[in-house]
Amino acid sequence: MGDSSASYIHLVHHLIETCLTFHMTKEECMEALSKHANIDPVITSTVWNELEKENKEFFETYAQSQRQSKADLMSEEETSRLIQKIISDSSKDSDD
Amino acid sequence: MLAVSPLRNTKDENLGETESYSIGASDFPDFSDGNLLDSIDFDDLFVGEMLPDLEMDPEILAEFSVSGGEESANTKKEEEDKVSGSGSGSGSGSGFNSSSSRGEEIVSKRDESVVNPRPPKQSDHHKGRKSSTQSKNSQGKRKVKVDWTPELHRRFVQAVEQLGVDKAVPSRILELMGIDCLTRHNIASHLQKYRSHRKHLLAREAEAASWSQRRQIYGTASGGGGGGGGGGKREMSPWLAPTMGFPPITPMHHFRPLHVWGHPSMDQSLMPMWPKHLAHSPPPLPPPPTTWVPAPPPLPPDPSYWHPHHQRVPNALTPGTPCFPQPLPTTRFASPPVPGIPPHTLYKVDPGIGVPPGQSGPHPMLDFHPTKESVDAAIGDVLSKPWLPLPLGLKPPSTDSVMGELQRQGVPKVPPSCA
Repeated sequence: MGDSSASYIHLVHHLIETCLTFHMTKEECMEALSKHANIDPVITSTVWNELEKENKEFFETYAQSQRQSKADLMSEEETSRLIQKIISDSSKDSDD
Repeated sequence: MLAVSPLRNTKDENLGETESYSIGASDFPDFSDGNLLDSIDFDDLFVGEMLPDLEMDPEILAEFSVSGGEESANTKKEEEDKVSGSGSGSGSGSGFNSSSSRGEEIVSKRDESVVNPRPPKQSDHHKGRKSSTQSKNSQGKRKVKVDWTPELHRRFVQAVEQLGVDKAVPSRILELMGIDCLTRHNIASHLQKYRSHRKHLLAREAEAASWSQRRQIYGTASGGGGGGGGGGKREMSPWLAPTMGFPPITPMHHFRPLHVWGHPSMDQSLMPMWPKHLAHSPPPLPPPPTTWVPAPPPLPPDPSYWHPHHQRVPNALTPGTPCFPQPLPTTRFASPPVPGIPPHTLYKVDPGIGVPPGQSGPHPMLDFHPTKESVDAAIGDVLSKPWLPLPLGLKPPSTDSVMGELQRQGVPKVPPSCA
C-alpha cells in the first residue's frame, strides 16, 4: 500500500523538521525518533538524507550553524565552569 | 448606463444569498417584482469600489475598514480627500481595492449627497471602479444611511449566527432583527462586509496561529527551564492547519490585536471601535499588538506570544533558509547567572546555573541541546496531531526514492510493524 508508506514518510519528515527546530543533529534525531516515536533509525536516516537532497541549501546552512554553535559550546563550557566557580566561591565566602 | 463590472473575488463568496452575477453594460437583472431599482443598487454594491468623490461621514467610512488598518486608514484618507475636493473623478484607482465592500454604502452616500454628474464616470468604463453609481443619482433612489451602531451590529451578528454565516439570507436576517428602518439592502451590504471581514480575520488567525505554533515549538525548548512560558501558550493558540479545514477557533479572543468586528463575544471595549482602532490607536488595545506588524520589538523577556513573529519575519521562511529563532547565533547566556530567570532565548537554560556548590560535574550549564522532555513533548505532539503544518516547510522527499532507499537498506515495509 503506497498510501500508508507515503503518510508514514510524511510523518517522519514532520518529526525530523521538528527536530531541526531543536537544532539536533542527524544522529540525535535518529535517537530521539527511535526513543519517542518508535521509528527505526534507518528510516529516520533515510528520510533525513532524502530531505537533505531536496533541500540542500537549508541543510548546508544548518550544518554551518551547527558547527558554529559547537564552537560556541566549547567556550560556553568554559564560561559555565567559571560561573560555577564564582558561585561556589561566593557561597564559600558567605560561609565564613 | 449602469455599468457593472464583474464581481470581485472577495465578494464572490459573499454573494451566497444575493445576486451573484456579472452584469454587462446593458445587462440588467430583470426583477419583475419591481425591485429593479433595488437590484441596481446591488449591482453597484458588488462593483464595490470606492466612490472617490462622495461626501462621507468619517464614521461610516471607518466602518468599512475590512482589511488591514493601514490600508483602510490610507484609503479612507484618500476618500475623504477626494470627497472634500470633490474634484476629479476616477482618481482613486487601486487605493480602493481593499475596501471593496464599502461600495454599497458609498453608493448610498452618493445618492443622498453628491449629485454632480461626473462625465468620465458615466462612461461604461468601469473595470471595477466606481463610475456606475452616477446613474444611481439620476435614478433618484435614495438610500437611507444606516448607522451600524454596536448594538445594531450585535443584533445583526446574532441573527447571522443563528442562521449560519454562510446560509444567512438578508431577508431572514431582517426578520430576525426585526428592525423596521433597515432595508434588505442595508442588511445585505452589511452582511457582505461582515463576511469579508471574517475572511480577513480567519486568514490572520491562520497566520498568527502558525506563528504561535512556531512559538510553541520553540517554547517547548525553553519550556523546561522557562517556566512553561511557551508551553503555557499551548492552550491559547489553536492548531490551525492552513491547508486544511480550520478546527473551531475557540481561543480567538487571544488574538486581540486583530481588529474585531464587534463580535459580541469579544471584549466590549472593542465594540465601538471595530475597524477604527486600526486607524487611530484606541486606548483599549494594548500597544504591542498593533506594533508588532510594523516593527518587531527586541525580544522582550515577557512571554508574549508574539515572539515568533519577529523571529520569523527576519528569517523569512523560505525553503533553504533555516528558520532558527533569532538568538541562535547570539549568546546563550541570556541573563546573568541568577537562578530561575528564564532566558528569553529559546534554549533551555539549565537551572543548574545556580547550582549549589555541592554539586559536582563540569557539565555545561547551558545546553545547546534542548531537554529530552521538550523534544519528547514536541515529538508527541507531531505524532498525535499529524495534520499540523510542517514547522519548517521543507520540500518533502519523493516517496519513491525514500522507499527505494529503504529497500536497499533492508527495510521492506513502511511503517514497520513494530511502530
